[in-house]
Amino acid sequence: MTNHPNGKTEGMPPLARLLSGFDKPRNVTRLFYLLLAVCIALGLADFLYHKHGYFAVEEFPAIYGLFGFVAYAAVIFLAKGLRLIIRRPEDYYEPFAIDTEDERAAGSDPEATGGKPHA
Amino acid sequence: MTDANALLLALAIPTIATFLIAASGSRPNIRDGISVVASIATFAVVLRLLESIMAGARPSVTLVEVMPGLVINFSIEPLGMLFATVASGLWIVTAIYSIGYMRGAHEKKQTRFYICFALAIAAALAIAFSGNLFTLFIFYEVLTLSTYPLVAHKETPEARAGARVYLGILMTTSILFLLVAVIWTWSLTGTMEFRAGGILEGNIDPVFVPFLLALFAFGIGKAALMPFHRWLPAAMVAPTPVSALLHAVAVVKAGVFTMLKVGTYIFGVGFLGRTGASEWLVWLAAATILIASIVALTKDDLKARLAYSTVSQLSYITLGMALANQMGIIGGSMHIVMHAMGKITLFMCAGAIYVAAHKTKVSELDGLGRKMPLTFIAFTIASLSIIGLPPFGGAWSKWYLLLSAADAGQLVIIGVLMLSSLLNVAYLLSIPARAFFAPPRGQMAHSLGAAASPSKGWEEAPLFCLVPICLTALGCIVLFFAIGGIYEYLLSIPILPETAP
Amino acid sequence: MPEIGTPALVYMVAALIVPFVRPATLRQILLLAVPVLGLLTFWQLPYGTYGTFNLMNMHVGLMRLDALSYVFGLIFSLAAFLALLYAWHVRDTVQQVATLLYAGAGLGAVFAADLVTLFVFWEGTAIASVFLIWARRTEGAYATGMRYLIMQVGSGVILLAGIVLFYRETGSIAFSRMDLESPATWAIFLAFGIKCAFPLLHNWLQDAYPAATITGTVTLSAFTTKLAVYALARGFPGTELLIYIGATMTLFPVFFAAVENNLRRVLAYSLNNQLGFMVVGVGIGTPLALNGTVAHAFCHILYKALLFMSVGAVMYRTGTSKASELGGLYKSMPLTMIFCVVGAMSISAFPLFSGFISKSLILSASADTGHFFVWLALVVASVGVLEHSGIKIPYFTFFAHDAGHRVKEAPFHMLLAMGITAALCIGLGVFPSLLYGILPYAVDYTPYTVTHVVTQLQLLLFAGLAFAVLIRTGLYPAEIRSVNLDFDWTYRRLLPAALSGVAYLVQGTWRFASRIVMGRVDSLIAGVYRAHGPQGPLARTWPTGSMVLWIAVLLGMTLVLAYI
Repeated sequence: MTNHPNGKTEGMPPLARLLSGFDKPRNVTRLFYLLLAVCIALGLADFLYHKHGYFAVEEFPAIYGLFGFVAYAAVIFLAKGLRLIIRRPEDYYEPFAIDTEDERAAGSDPEATGGKPHA
Repeated sequence: MTDANALLLALAIPTIATFLIAASGSRPNIRDGISVVASIATFAVVLRLLESIMAGARPSVTLVEVMPGLVINFSIEPLGMLFATVASGLWIVTAIYSIGYMRGAHEKKQTRFYICFALAIAAALAIAFSGNLFTLFIFYEVLTLSTYPLVAHKETPEARAGARVYLGILMTTSILFLLVAVIWTWSLTGTMEFRAGGILEGNIDPVFVPFLLALFAFGIGKAALMPFHRWLPAAMVAPTPVSALLHAVAVVKAGVFTMLKVGTYIFGVGFLGRTGASEWLVWLAAATILIASIVALTKDDLKARLAYSTVSQLSYITLGMALANQMGIIGGSMHIVMHAMGKITLFMCAGAIYVAAHKTKVSELDGLGRKMPLTFIAFTIASLSIIGLPPFGGAWSKWYLLLSAADAGQLVIIGVLMLSSLLNVAYLLSIPARAFFAPPRGQMAHSLGAAASPSKGWEEAPLFCLVPICLTALGCIVLFFAIGGIYEYLLSIPILPETAP
Repeated sequence: MPEIGTPALVYMVAALIVPFVRPATLRQILLLAVPVLGLLTFWQLPYGTYGTFNLMNMHVGLMRLDALSYVFGLIFSLAAFLALLYAWHVRDTVQQVATLLYAGAGLGAVFAADLVTLFVFWEGTAIASVFLIWARRTEGAYATGMRYLIMQVGSGVILLAGIVLFYRETGSIAFSRMDLESPATWAIFLAFGIKCAFPLLHNWLQDAYPAATITGTVTLSAFTTKLAVYALARGFPGTELLIYIGATMTLFPVFFAAVENNLRRVLAYSLNNQLGFMVVGVGIGTPLALNGTVAHAFCHILYKALLFMSVGAVMYRTGTSKASELGGLYKSMPLTMIFCVVGAMSISAFPLFSGFISKSLILSASADTGHFFVWLALVVASVGVLEHSGIKIPYFTFFAHDAGHRVKEAPFHMLLAMGITAALCIGLGVFPSLLYGILPYAVDYTPYTVTHVVTQLQLLLFAGLAFAVLIRTGLYPAEIRSVNLDFDWTYRRLLPAALSGVAYLVQGTWRFASRIVMGRVDSLIAGVYRAHGPQGPLARTWPTGSMVLWIAVLLGMTLVLAYI
């Protein structure tokens, strides 16, 4: 959803051409606000019906939404922390692993140092 | 034909075959034909005997009385019959295989080879049918001597050295320990006969039982119990059919068969169990199983790896005896059959690889599976059987050995057997897996198919080699499904003393 | 259809025939016919036990058809069909035979009425499936296959040991409900646990599945672990320990999946996490929970296969499944993208998709029985599922940064297989009664209530919002080419290092000891000679004894010489 290298759409399947409109940064931003609006609407929807929960905590309005947001962020940050501990170069288990052998067979040397993000 | 005559005939056919083979040495086709015909005839007679034994007959023949009480006597009981069936049945495939191998590998002195081979089979059958310890001991030595020229067959310095170790260890242990044990037993009980339920109970101070057992266990060097196992890898210098004979058909099976026979008919399973005299042997066998497996892992020479595998597998059978209960005897004797079928396949495959591709090292086999698919499929099947996986015969013998360990309350032994299975996977299955799936050395393969190039046609060993391999590999599968009958048969091995009339 | 004991037989016979069938098209058609024929053998059969006989005093039953095994038999047949359809282009006989044997063994194990039959097929799945990994034919795949095989056979032998002990304890080999109270049942439990990828026993899964061939992974994802779930549901329903094991299983893979680069490995972690839900269901053990487990296994096989298929199709076209190397593929493979999104939404349990109607059974069951923290863990895990399978897989493959791959759309047969699977995922989500009708217990459950739909949408969309925020702020972890350590480090790095240390020690000790012993033996022989030799003091009094000892010495020397 970020950048589009050349903006050309010819040669793509028709379905893809239809979707390629979303590639423009402006549309991505619009999508984001659409999602935000839907979320707010869903949060407000909790006031419109009677909730049947199993636990008392479920009665709090929009609790599922807030919990989802926080849990998601927590998962990501914990995983980032975990990565600090467990990350190793891609050829760490060579030659007894499949991780880089396709690249080596194809002749392109992998970024075996394993530190650089692909950008 | 009476059963007794059939018994003598079964022994006579391979013996006579030696003379016929010697006489027709100048005409290879006739010579090889004789050895195959003799093997089939022997097997037919043995099957005829098996039928009688299953019907309850127990034929017995006394040949000569050397001294009062010291007789050469043959009498058949279920355990010996089992060994005889295995040995004579597999002689057929080995005889056919030998033709392909010896000619394909251009071996010299083939006549001597076939003579000694037939003689070894005769000795193995005599061991199987022996009615007392004396007879067994005599033919045990005959077997050792008759296989010596086979091991030294190539007459190279390595072959001679290997054969010297072979003869040295087997003769020494048998005289130093086994003979002493036999004489000791004789002096204790005044008899050497194999009797249901054993002959020692009541005649020996229980304190000495472990020592007598030790003399037997180490004396039967053919069972390759550590530390007297070195002869087996040393004998790997021999041509492959000999290795098949040593490892599957005659020699090692004669060893473990003697082990089972001594345990069942001299000590008595009940007596061993009550005195706990075989407890140490359980642990030694367990150690042998594991250590030999680990050594096998480190061997790059295909036949050496298989040899250590045999050392390990033989101790399964010793273990079955040492656990001293009925399931152990059943599991052990079942393993004689299952291991024979699996290991003979493996050795014949090793020979086929040598004949067709001149490869002897595991590390040289990468990618060979596409040239010799049938050989390696057979290798895979036999490996799975030896590991003890269904649907192959080896699974059942492992099942009964585990039951036996459970009956004896030996949870650790169950663990040992499990661990051994995993080690077997590592050192056996890696061979066909590399042959089929590893890219040839020095090449990088891409997972999207670079290595999976279409095969350039088969380059299998000669048909005389290939057919026996396929037959025994199929046998591994058949044994899994035919287990009900084998089990029923093995139940007839007498464990308890016969009640006096 | 005639009664033939077990549907596995159809697969086994077909596996024997297939290598000899030419031309290729005929062989493909035969392959596709096999699951259909297999299904027909039990489709209309009344419940009961078939193929019973007495083997060595053990009562063997090859096929027990009841509500539980029926559902698994159905989904396994379906999965086999879809996997074979997906693999239409494969011309490798090894993979075709292995797929048949593997699926057949899986079915055989599900229908096994006794533990011995279970063991036979249990090992069958292990042996057959490893060929799907080895068939990649690279050095790494070989090594990975060996590790996988050791683990799987290890599970089998532990099962065997458990069965042996169980048989000795109870005198029966019937496979029914067991209690964790003796070494026997613990061993069986452990064997199931290995195949079910319990925490710390799980790494074979993440190790092996990304290493298999493209089509092999699709096949692998369906059978092994779900067989273990079935076995647990059959043998240990209501075992409380399973609740906590399962809850752990749902949680920890989430973090590993979030930072994993290889998308097929992400899916393997995701598979592990989904198994956790099923294991929790087994642990709770109420009819509702067990229904949830079965339903979830059913739906899971479909959407997980769909995800593996779509990532596989991408790999088939681009040659890689690494997130860092992919992106923007919707431009080239829009249909694959749509199917992948359907799979992603199903696994994330969006309403109207299959995950929604099955996972909610387990969540409700855990809440019903008052397991608040377990329930909470499952909700967190659901957010995790959305993260790694719902968003990460489609986003980094088909959107995100355009990696510049301009490839063809997936081949038709792959699209067809994915299309059918996607249709089933949506169909089950829209018409839950189709699935609820065949579940083992009669339970009245309505998944589509206002509360449930709204809360679930809240959970998912807010989490999606969090993703959007993190991406826009650049806080979302970048996809980096790396491997991540997991418990497998202990046996891939630590254990080999420890073993080589031990080997070094043993070797040194052995050399030292043998030098000492050899020296001692030499001096002993010399000593014996002094005492018993012709001039020795003992020779004068006991000539016979001397002779015997002489022989002993000679033989001893031969023995020593033989060793040199």
